[in-house]
Parts: sequence; structure tokens; C-alpha cells
Amino acid sequence: MEKDFTRPEFYENRELSWLKFNGRVLNEARDKSIPLLERLKFISITSSNLDEFYMVRVASLKDMVHANYKKRDIAGMTAGEQLTAINEKTRELVELQYNTYNRSLVPLMKAENITVIDAFEDLSKEQEAFVDRYFEDSVYPVLTPMAVDASRPFPLIRNKTLNIAALLKKKEQKAGMGAKGEKDEIEFATVQVPGVLPRIVPIPSRDPQKKTMILLEQIIEKNIDKLFLNYEVLCAYPYRIMRNADLTIDEDEAADLLKEIQKQLKMRQWGEVIRLEVEKGIDAKLLHILKAELKVAEQDIFKIHGPLDLTFLMKMYGMEGMDHLRNKPYTPQRVPEITPGENIFDEIKNGDILLHHPYQTFDPVVEFIRQASVDPGVLAIKQTLYRVSGNSPIIASLAQAAENGKQVSVLVELKARFDEENNIVWAKKLEQAGCHVIYGLVGLKTHSKIALVVRREEEGIQRYVHLGTGNYNDSTAKLYTDCGIFTCNEAIGEDATAVFNMLSGYSEPLSWNQLVLAPLWLRSKFMKLIRRETKHAKDKKPAHIIAKMNSLCDEGIIAALYEASAAGVKIQLIVRGICCLKTGIPGVSENIEVRSIVGNFLEHGRIFYFYNDGEEELYMGSADWMPRNLDRRVEILFPVLDEGIKESIKHMLDVELADNLKAHLLKEDGNYEKIDKRGKVLISSQQTFCEEAVKKAVKPEQIYKERVFIPAEHI
Amino acid sequence: MKFHMFAAIYIGSYEVSIKIFEISGKSRMKEVDYIRRRIELGRDAYSKGSIGYELVEALCETLAEFNIIMEGYKVDAYEAYAASVLRDAGNELFILDQIKIRTGLNVRVLSNSEHRFISYKSIAIREEFEKMIQKGAAVLDAGGGGMQITIFSKGDVVTTQHLALGTMRMREQLSKKSSNLEQYEHQIEELVVKELEVFKSIFLGSAKVRYLIIIGDYISEIVRKVEKNYDENTVDTQKFLKYLHRFNKQTLEEIMEELNLVNESDALIVPYMMIFKCMADNIGAEKIWAPGVNISDGIAYDYAEKNNMQKITHDFEADILSAARNLSERYKSYTPHIDALVQMSCLLFDTMKKIHGLGKRERLLLQLSAILHDCGKYISLANGPYCSYEIIMASEIIGLTHLEREIVAYTVLYNTLRLPVYEELADQLNHESYLTIAKLSAILRVSNAMDRSHKQKFKNVRAAIKGKELVITIETLDDIALEKALFNSKTAYFENIFSMKPVIREKRVY
Repeated sequence: MEKDFTRPEFYENRELSWLKFNGRVLNEARDKSIPLLERLKFISITSSNLDEFYMVRVASLKDMVHANYKKRDIAGMTAGEQLTAINEKTRELVELQYNTYNRSLVPLMKAENITVIDAFEDLSKEQEAFVDRYFEDSVYPVLTPMAVDASRPFPLIRNKTLNIAALLKKKEQKAGMGAKGEKDEIEFATVQVPGVLPRIVPIPSRDPQKKTMILLEQIIEKNIDKLFLNYEVLCAYPYRIMRNADLTIDEDEAADLLKEIQKQLKMRQWGEVIRLEVEKGIDAKLLHILKAELKVAEQDIFKIHGPLDLTFLMKMYGMEGMDHLRNKPYTPQRVPEITPGENIFDEIKNGDILLHHPYQTFDPVVEFIRQASVDPGVLAIKQTLYRVSGNSPIIASLAQAAENGKQVSVLVELKARFDEENNIVWAKKLEQAGCHVIYGLVGLKTHSKIALVVRREEEGIQRYVHLGTGNYNDSTAKLYTDCGIFTCNEAIGEDATAVFNMLSGYSEPLSWNQLVLAPLWLRSKFMKLIRRETKHAKDKKPAHIIAKMNSLCDEGIIAALYEASAAGVKIQLIVRGICCLKTGIPGVSENIEVRSIVGNFLEHGRIFYFYNDGEEELYMGSADWMPRNLDRRVEILFPVLDEGIKESIKHMLDVELADNLKAHLLKEDGNYEKIDKRGKVLISSQQTFCEEAVKKAVKPEQIYKERVFIPAEHI
Repeated sequence: MKFHMFAAIYIGSYEVSIKIFEISGKSRMKEVDYIRRRIELGRDAYSKGSIGYELVEALCETLAEFNIIMEGYKVDAYEAYAASVLRDAGNELFILDQIKIRTGLNVRVLSNSEHRFISYKSIAIREEFEKMIQKGAAVLDAGGGGMQITIFSKGDVVTTQHLALGTMRMREQLSKKSSNLEQYEHQIEELVVKELEVFKSIFLGSAKVRYLIIIGDYISEIVRKVEKNYDENTVDTQKFLKYLHRFNKQTLEEIMEELNLVNESDALIVPYMMIFKCMADNIGAEKIWAPGVNISDGIAYDYAEKNNMQKITHDFEADILSAARNLSERYKSYTPHIDALVQMSCLLFDTMKKIHGLGKRERLLLQLSAILHDCGKYISLANGPYCSYEIIMASEIIGLTHLEREIVAYTVLYNTLRLPVYEELADQLNHESYLTIAKLSAILRVSNAMDRSHKQKFKNVRAAIKGKELVITIETLDDIALEKALFNSKTAYFENIFSMKPVIREKRVY
């Protein structure tokens, strides 16, 4: 009877699943109902996603291959097998991406009078003059051409930079001057397309109604002979490499792997090139040199039909004017329970408050910390910060609070991928202001999002807590869909205090009231919750799980879900990204439905619903169902206790499950398909939430901030 | 603000903690925060006899952090106590000095009886407690440095005994010597059971123990596992034992996993478990209660009580008196005489309030001295006073500080012997205590003289101060020639101390 739910064939490889996700992003760019610039944006996101994927995931897999690491993943694939499969799928993806760009979007842009010139040969006389002028004035001074010959070795080509490679030949010298024998010698030279200059350069159009632009590399290519004056440029082509440069081992792999790699490190060249992108028509000889010098394998060369590195399209998206080609900008709405200018603590005392970003504004969270920093009753502010925006008002408030004599403890996670430098700068700022800054925990990333304000009131110490699913980042809060709750629930307040005590290096509390923490208790809590539904199903009671997250790739959880499904639990998953679970396996996952919503906003919230035989339980948190979230990060899962908020969140889930515009369903064959819309009312969950938030928000009668100058009290 | 913030800092043998309380007039004390850090001071103290600088460093650092935490909560007052771990460290004074210099904190080292009294207070304030001790209860206070067993019968303290079986201490002594967990468990069990048997045969006597009340780390976790819906109620001893039994043959990791202590890195859970198991097995209680409090709660309660912020619900003086009576009974002191003496000395004490200037607490000490003054005769009739002194010093009376116990012992000693001049005792007593002892022993001596024959001949005694005389009026039918004669020989001492002459007025009743 006992069925083994961990068989590899029940699982999808996570990298391939991720590529499917990127495919869904690309799909948005192919959606004709979406305004043009939005579609360009999705093309750009597809590219930047893919870059990050290569740098982190593919690099890790390469490391594994080098380390001769033979362990198979949950889908039963070795690292080598995965790389082969990834390569094939990536090529398909890139092919589709450029097809979309070249065949659909470029003509559409033309129709909208936007021209991007990607071959300088197409320039008119005036344009040529402009471009040459621009080159001499702005570009030439920052270029560093580098030739390669016997005395000058191949230079270091930086990761992710765009470069132009050229083949040169010494110009025919005047008779009698040069030695004849050198004539045929061909030299290689490379120049980096400077990152400090904008990639797209607007140039004058023949018709003033039109917008014409040229790519920077084209300007350089056109003028490349000016860089190598004594040479004749035989050909010049752009190329771009991706390196396994930072040597960070992705944490999702086992610790024994780390050791393995460390052993290998010394023997291996630094910064191995893992991908080379070149223009399709590149000169064979030039490519040969690049390939040899960069030591890149044949299968890692991508011949691109179009401009390299489409991330520049994000800049196009931000182009002035052209508003008709973009979605109408959405302004996050006010949260009805919180009136700007009022004391936020009093409002929280009236009851728990749910925030749904970006439909609702992130301002209350900023305001929460700001008010705490100047409120005379506030004793302490404690907060975890993971990824913070550059000029964060939260950081300013925290520093202010410390200067006002409050005790401020901030846990800063330095290990947040790609953000390290950024984090260190403001962490130092906070320290200078007198905050107690904790720089993460050894071996664990702190991914939880929690802020605690301790306030001394008439009746005693009162704690106010904000718990969220998203980072304390006011910029991303406009793009990521997240939920947050303000509460002064005593049990949660106590737990929040305990969380910070624990993060400051004190012993863990003897017991927890409401919060569940990873890496210690979260996994078993989820398992318990899933198994409880399984039990109810086995007892012939209705059982239902709805879970929304970014990624699902934890073997244990998936196996538990299979078991639940097999027992008859209805399982509806809303997984934006990676999903290693397969649907529709007979006897295993027939009761599981997986959908992915890819829309204008990045789906980011984590919500977990359990029917629990009528005693419905709802949780939210910072953790995905991924091994790294459950085992190697500090995460917080919190229950939704307020009945009203429970209803709101259930409604959220209902709307997302009913989404038939932006949702893709995972089919049995492993592909995602959009839902058949025939005969259905069209629903886009994100659109619905926008409209609902507008309806709910009280019309702003007051101006956001009080127009009274109140001298800051020094406490 | 209508409330008071208080911080209780406790330096234990393996953990340093601070508990922040909110004490308000009406409502009870509320725990606001509880912060603990593991610093195994006992590792050095119990094996090397003094605490090394690394640990002192860590201790001071943590205490300095506690200072910041207190500042953060705007704490109005704090008490910082340390117990056996510093008592057992040879460098106690230097450590305290370093703490004072580096952190500004005044740490007080508690004697065992003070320590036990404070943690006892934390449970005594609970309602359930009164009911349980009426039916007979044993309180086990298990800690790193030792364990304390206090037996209650019919609401009174029967005895309290300190056993040097601390978890940390045992771990230091045993864990390195045993090759595996099973052997280790077995050794602890043997140690504990042996001590418990002695305890039972000597002290438990006929007292019936229905409840086992346990204070100590991990007990709440265990009890919560035994009874899924444990709601501050008791669990069945049999169930409890059955649960612990399942840990037999389990690895430490499995035990930790089961109890949800995944990231605790040490084996202290094992000695704790073995102590709980042996107690449950041997003491014969039907139910186990884990009130989930610890010494920090007691410290706060103690503080609140001293500062009149908390109403006293439990009569702790009654506990002390009852413990003293049990002690005196154990050494077969004659009860009617003791009762008469207590009554008499209290009468004199109360009458002379303005003369001696002592307070309520000293009155209690006088009562104790009266109750215990004869216990040494059990050992030697001739050397009674010395033996009494030794017995008192060696017996724990829950609720007395070490100094108070010393005062009682000296009062008893100089009830009979001549009180030496202060200079001779200056190395043992401070000035104030010396005076207290002198006054109490003088009163005791006069009172004692009035029942010299141990026949309680005096009835309806009254006392009053008239000019320079303390007039004791008595009604009696008996011949009191002996008392009268002795009385006069005992009053010199009294006169010397109080500059007042006690006189007996007889009122013959026919």
C-alpha cells in the first residue's frame, strides 16, 4: 500500500522548470494584447533573468561537473545531464526571444515610428555626421582598445560586458618603409563597449515625427578604424561573455559539495567563461580566436540573431512620451485603516491591519518606522533588512531613531545575492548613527521580514509588529505583490521579541506562541499541516490546501503533497517560478493543480491555506517551499489570526485561482499553457486587485503629511 | 507611568539570563522579555574550583549587554543574583569586583537557602500551590549546581534539603568518564537514587507526598510532551515515567529531536531527565506539576514584596517557623517548654519595642532561637549550646538568609554562654548583627530563666515597663522559688545590655 512518492520520475528538474518560467515571462512579450513598450520590457526581463540564471545556477552546475560530483538531483539527473538539457532549452528560449523581437516587436516599433538602427550601414548622411561627432566627443575618450600580439597577452574580458572584437591588418606601408614579410599578419584587437555611456543613443530622424536610435556598439563599430589608425580593420563584431567569476557556490547544493569544490579550486582557472554570445554572422576566424583565447566550449557559444544583451530594452521602456504604448501607471492606493498623519500605533490598536502591495501603498510601513523614531513612548525598534532600496527612508528613520535615543537593532543580511556592496554601505551608516547592527548569522541567511516596535504606554509595555512576505524596500514594493500585517497581538509581540533575542545571539525561547521559524521548526510545521489534511482526507472529510509561493522544489514537501493528493486532498498551488512537482501523475498527483501567474507585477507573496476540517488556517511568510528556505535560512511563518483579514486573504486566493488572463496552468506533459478563456468572464487577478484597492481606498481629503511643522522632540 | 519596570538578572551555572518584568499596582507581574545566554561557568567552577578568564570575559560582556537591554526598557530597578556557581569559585570576590568595574552591576551571591527561598517564592505565589501543600507535596528545584527538595505536609514545611547533585556538576564529573550515553545515564541514576534513599529514610518519614512540584529547565518541555493539552495542570506520574522510559536506548540526538531542542548543543538534558525520573520514581507522588517558573520570577516577586508592590498571599514566616519546629522535633526538644519560651520571649520583645529598637524580622529570629535553643542536647547534654549552634548552622531553614541563620545560631549559643566582647567576634559578625545577637540572647535568657524547671509554672504573664524596670507580673499556684532564684542570676546580662532591670511580681492565685 505504501507508495514511494520520492521516485525521480515524479519530479521535474528545477533548472528546466526555471527555464519554463522564463519562457512564461517571454510569453508576455508575445502577448498581442499588451502595449508595445510593456512587451519590450518583458523581453528585457527575460534577458536579465537568463543572465542571473547563468551566473548562479549554471555556474554551480559547472562547478559540480568539474568537481566530479555525481549525486543526482530529485529528478534523477546528474549535473552534466542537466547542463546538456539546459543548453538545449536555453537555445530554444533565446531563439524565440529574438524571433519575437525581430519579427514582431521591431516591425511594431517601426509602425509606431520608433527605429532602432542596429547596423550603421543604414544611416543617412546627416545621421552619419551626428554619429561620428558623438563618437569623437563622447565615446572615443572612454574607450580602451586592446590589441593582442606576441608581447601583449589576451586581456581580461569582464563578466557581462559587451565588447567588440576586430581583426586587423597592418596598413600597406609606403614602399620601402616596412618589412615585406609582415604584410599578411593579422592581429586581433578588442574594445569594451563602455558601460558608463547609454546603450541607446537617440539620433536625428529624417522625419521629426519619428524617433530614431542607434546602439552604442554600432557607433563604435562604425568608427573602429579610428581606434587602430595604422591598421586596416578587416572585420569587427560584438561579443559578450558570462563568467563563473564570483565563485559563490549556490547554497542549494549540499555542504559536502562545497568541500569538494574547495579542493578543486586551486587546480582550476579563475573565472571560467561559461557562455559566449556573438553576432550570428561573425567572421569564422574571429570566432575561432575568441573561442581559443576564452577557452570556451563549442556548446557554450550562442550565435545571436540581433543585438546582444537585450536588457537595454528596459531603457526603451522608460522612454519619454509614448505613454500610449505603456500600461497606465498604477498608483498604489491608501490603506483605508490607516489615515496619513494619524498616530499609526493607535490605528494598529484598533485591530490588525492587512497591507496588500503594490495595490496598496507601502507608505504605512515607512511611516510606522518613521513615527516610531520620533514617538516619545517608543523604547526600541528592531528590524530585519534584507534588500533595501538605495535611498531608503526606512534606513533614515532608523538612524534618526538611534539619534533620538531609541534602542535600534537591525539585522542586516550581507549575503543577499548581488546586493552585498550596497548593504555594507548603509549598514555602516546605521552603525555610525548608533544602531546595533547585527551582520547576519553564521551559516544562515536571514530572509525573514519582521519589524518590532516596543512602546511604553500608560498600561505597560506594548509591542507593535509588522510581518511581511516582502522585503523592506520601498521601490520593489511598487512592483512586487506582497502582503504584510500590522498587529499588536501580545502573543506575536512576545514571539517577535524572542526572534530578535535569538538573532542577537541569545538562547532561543523556551516556547513559541504563534510564529514558526526556519530553519528549526518550519519544515516540520509544514509537514504537520499537510499531513493533517491527508489525515482528514483519509477520514473521508473534505480536505483542501491552497498554497501560493515563488518556487516549489523541496522533495520532502512535494512527497507530502503527493501523499496528500493520493489520499484525496484537493491541492491548488499558485507557484510563480520553479515548480518541481508534476501534475496529473495517476495515483500520485491527480488532485493537484499548479498555476503560475506572470503579470505586470512580480508575484512575490507566500500564502498557505489549510482547510483543516472547517477550522480553516491561514499562514503567510517569507519562505518558499525550497530546501534553502526551509533549512538554511531564518524565515518566519505567521498565522493570520484576524477573521476579517482571513476573509480578505481567502478572497485574494480565490481571485488568483480564477485568473484566466495572466495565469498559466501546468499540464501533465510538463508544459504551461494559458487557460482556455472561451465562455468565461475574463479575469486578471492583478487588474482586479488594482480596481478593488482603488474602490476600497478612502478618497484623499487630507494631504498626506500634516502641513504643520512640528519640532522634533529630543527624547 | 503607573507601572514599574524591573529586571531580574541571574547568573547560573550554565546560563546567564535577564528577565524583564512589568510590575503594576493592581494586576500581577507581567514578564515582558526573557533573554538568556549560555555561559557554562560551572565548567570551570565545578572542575577547577575557580572560573577562568575566558568565561569571566564572556560573563562581563553579556552583563554589559544586559545593561543596554535594561536601558532599552527604561528599567527602574534591577537585582542581579548569582548562586552556587560563584559560591563554589575560589575567585568569587575578584569576579564580582570585575563585574562591578566593567559593567557597574552589583551582583549578590546568594547562599543556598536564600537561593532556594527565592525560587520557592516563585511557585508559592501560585494559587494551586496552597492546595497542593495541604495534601502533601515535594518541591524539587533542580539546577546546575545542586538540587533542593522541600517537603510540605498539611500546608507546612517539613524539611528542606540540599543535595549536591547539580546537572552541570554531574556532567562535569561523569560525562568524560563514561563511554556511552547508556552508561552515563546509569551512573547518574545510581548517584541520584542513592542520595534519594538516604533522604527518604531520614527526612521523609511518614509524610505523604501527593504532588511533585518541579522547577528546572526542560521540565516544561517534557511535561508538555507527556500531556498534549497540558494547560498548567498536573500530569500523572505514571504517564510521565512511561514517557521518559521511551528515551531509553535513544541517542542524544533523538531525544533532542523529540523534545524540540534541536539546536541545544549539550548533554545537560540527560542529567535533568535522570533527576526528574528518579524523583518521580522514588518520592511516591501521584501527580507532577511543572509551574513553568524559575528563579527570575522569584527575584521579581521578592523585589515587589520588599517594595510593597505586591500583596503577600503566602505566609512565608509560617514556613520558616514550621521548618524550625520540625527541626526541633527531630532533635527531641521538649515542646511545651518551647511553646512557653516562644510566648514569653515574644511578650518581652513586644513590651520592649522602644527599648531594643528591633523590628519584625528580628522578632521572627527570636522565635526561631527560642524554638531551636535546646536542640543540641540531643547530641550532648553538657555541650548543648555548642551543639545547638552547629546544628543550626548545618541545617537549612528555607527563607532565612545566611546571616539570619548565623544570628539565630549565635543567639542560641549566647543564651547560655557569656557573650564575648565585640572585638573577639569582629571577624565573624558586623557591628549591627552583634548588637542584635546581644539583645535577642538577653531576652531569650530572661525568658528561659522563667521556665527553668520546664514545667510552665507561670500563667497569665504580663509585662510592662515602669521607669527603669521591666516588670513581669505573673500568676502562679506553684512554688516558683527556683525560677526566682535563677532569675536574679540571669538578669545581670540583661541589665548590662538594656540598662534596665527585669523584676518579677508575683500575684498568687488561690
